[in-house]
Amino acid sequence: MNKGIARRAIAATLALGVGIVLAGCAGSAGGSGSGAVPGEDYAGPKVSITFWNGWTGGAAPVLVPKLIEKFNSEHDNIEVKNVPQEWGDIAKKMPLAVKAGKGPDVAVGHGDDIATYAAQGLLLGADDIVDALGYSADDFPEGLMEAGAYQGDQYGIPWSVTPLGLYVNNDVLRSAGIDPAVVPTDKESYMAALETLKGAGIAGEWVDGYVFTGTFEFQSLVWQFGGDLYNDDVTKSTFNSDAGVQALTHMTDLIDQGYSPPNVAQDGNIKGLLSSETAYNWNGVWQTTNESFNQIDWTVAPVPQIGTEKAVWSSSTHWMFLNNKGQNQDKTAAAATFVKWMNENSAGWAETGELPAANDVRNDPALIETYPNLKPFLDSLPYAHYETSAPGITAANALITTALNEALTGKKSPQAALDDAARQADAILEQNAAKYGD
Amino acid sequence: MQPGRLTRSSSRTRQNTVTSLAPVIPTSRRSLVGTSGVRRRTGIAYLFLAPFLALFTIFVVTPAIFGLWISVTDWSPYKDEQNFVGLKNYIDLVTPGSITFSDFWQSMGATGIFTVLSVPCLLIIPMLTAILLNNNIRGGSAFRAIFFAPYVLGVAVIGVIWKYLLDTQSGMLNHILGLIGLPDNIPWTVDVPWAWVSLVLVTVWWTLGFNAVILLAGLKSINPDLYEAASLDGAGVFRKFWSVTLPGLRPVMLFVSTTTILASANMFGQSYLLTKGGPANATRTAIMYISDQGLSQDNMAPAAAMSYILFAILAIISVINFRVQREKSG
Repeated sequence: MNKGIARRAIAATLALGVGIVLAGCAGSAGGSGSGAVPGEDYAGPKVSITFWNGWTGGAAPVLVPKLIEKFNSEHDNIEVKNVPQEWGDIAKKMPLAVKAGKGPDVAVGHGDDIATYAAQGLLLGADDIVDALGYSADDFPEGLMEAGAYQGDQYGIPWSVTPLGLYVNNDVLRSAGIDPAVVPTDKESYMAALETLKGAGIAGEWVDGYVFTGTFEFQSLVWQFGGDLYNDDVTKSTFNSDAGVQALTHMTDLIDQGYSPPNVAQDGNIKGLLSSETAYNWNGVWQTTNESFNQIDWTVAPVPQIGTEKAVWSSSTHWMFLNNKGQNQDKTAAAATFVKWMNENSAGWAETGELPAANDVRNDPALIETYPNLKPFLDSLPYAHYETSAPGITAANALITTALNEALTGKKSPQAALDDAARQADAILEQNAAKYGD
Repeated sequence: MQPGRLTRSSSRTRQNTVTSLAPVIPTSRRSLVGTSGVRRRTGIAYLFLAPFLALFTIFVVTPAIFGLWISVTDWSPYKDEQNFVGLKNYIDLVTPGSITFSDFWQSMGATGIFTVLSVPCLLIIPMLTAILLNNNIRGGSAFRAIFFAPYVLGVAVIGVIWKYLLDTQSGMLNHILGLIGLPDNIPWTVDVPWAWVSLVLVTVWWTLGFNAVILLAGLKSINPDLYEAASLDGAGVFRKFWSVTLPGLRPVMLFVSTTTILASANMFGQSYLLTKGGPANATRTAIMYISDQGLSQDNMAPAAAMSYILFAILAIISVINFRVQREKSG
């Protein structure tokens, strides 16, 4: 019963606590200090390295073991052990495991988690590894290396990016007399299309007030209106700036003017698109692998520019090297070799609905030939914005969704909702600074 | 499932519960006879209890004590040493303007609303169901299985099912309401008060079978002679319900109401999956907020303090519940 869940949750909290205290007694290494990683492949004695990732769904559970098998067969002295598990479990286990010396040698993490891990001393600084592997910021989309850095040090090496796009139901457009070949790219053409749809009795874009994907749309719009979510050193939230208010007002206007129905539930809009009840949906590149799309005539385009500049939200995943107690340098070196090989062989990763981060791989014309639906996402990467890199930032980000939800359900005006959220977020940023010992 | 087995195990649950809930009084006269026999029997009892006691100590008592310690420190997984801060975490929770004050008490309020709305439904509806099932109707055991069936589903499953059914625009419920001429745009999971209606509705559908089966076992244990005697005295259906059924169910009712209040006060999954705690944080329950603070945001010390406040309040409510129901029976 529910009581059980609660008791288990509390027990887990406490049990975790005991373990961490014990680990703490043993003394943690902390800080960053990576081993020397040779530029060429790891050539030392045979090592076995552990690789944690959250790839438990979609195409990944088939694809990843294949890639690892190939890597292992090509490298006599490295054996990679794949340990997939839920992302949430990784976040909970990582501190305890690493401090006890039982964490993975290499792992994949989301952009908004890297700084949190780094601040906890769980990660090895990857500057040397980046140098040794010969990577530079130019090897990845603009801003992506920075998304894996914290306090001037590199901790994450980019692996994949997942920007937002505009999914279009062509049948719905045709039923309203709109030519699907003409894709709206700016506010004027987008609103004109919505107006035509409204005339045909169709609410063209269903706006939702949840993380997936209302928050992603809101964040894209904030950047489009020239704003940002936080200030440069992430000590103050700025999502309640004029740009933020304009962004949120655009979304509430869509509801007020009848372009969107009120009270859309989470995923209600993608369901509406798939059942041909609405024409447009702002959603992530991961939907390109959604098989339900086979039942409709659809296309996908870059999100239209509603504000004053081009911008789109994107999340990212990064490779991390773990600072286990007594971490074996050979293993870290072998892990670096593995990372480089994976990035070089990441073309197939598009199968999972994510874009490979490595420019060389992504810009290979073969990629679009195999996955034509990815083109609009590739095109929008030059102006993509990634998640804020700061420890504990997800707690502050959660308040953005609260504000969005309040404004879209008419509880507060956009300005009031954002101001209230910003005030709380600032308190959390302050708390984070103390908590993570800035 | 075998109905016979179900009934037996339910009545066993009831008996166990009654013993464990009531103060332990040696009722058997034989236990007063020889002390050596008592000691041997007690020894064997402890032996059988030992495995559970060991698990209980390791996984409940120790963490609970450790949690109490955490709640008076500035405990953080990122620091090597933890400092004693006295009652600071508790004081913060009752100080308006602190970072956790408004969110915590809002979540406690949400838990309170859900408990007040759901507990009466979870007592009355299962009671009526049990009374219906207690009549020797055709296919009674089939109905019993049908009512009980949702209970075996996990909260994740019922969350997904109802998310589809309750969707504002494409949900089946709104579609059906539209067909019979009622409003078809009710925000079942998106806005209050509808979100509360949905949460209670889903919870009742999900767990009513459990309470119904236990109450049914209670009904079956009422001596039929009492009904016969009542009939001879000229009692009607309602009088029999009031004077025979309800008093006969009292010990079972104590168990059912206590567990139902505790389960409702610890509601987590339904809100987490169906409403995401929304609109804004209106349906975010205390357990949701505590787990978010403790497990997601690593603010374990304040979260531990919150757990203890919730525990204290639930303990007080349980004691009141016991007192009230015992006085009635006495």
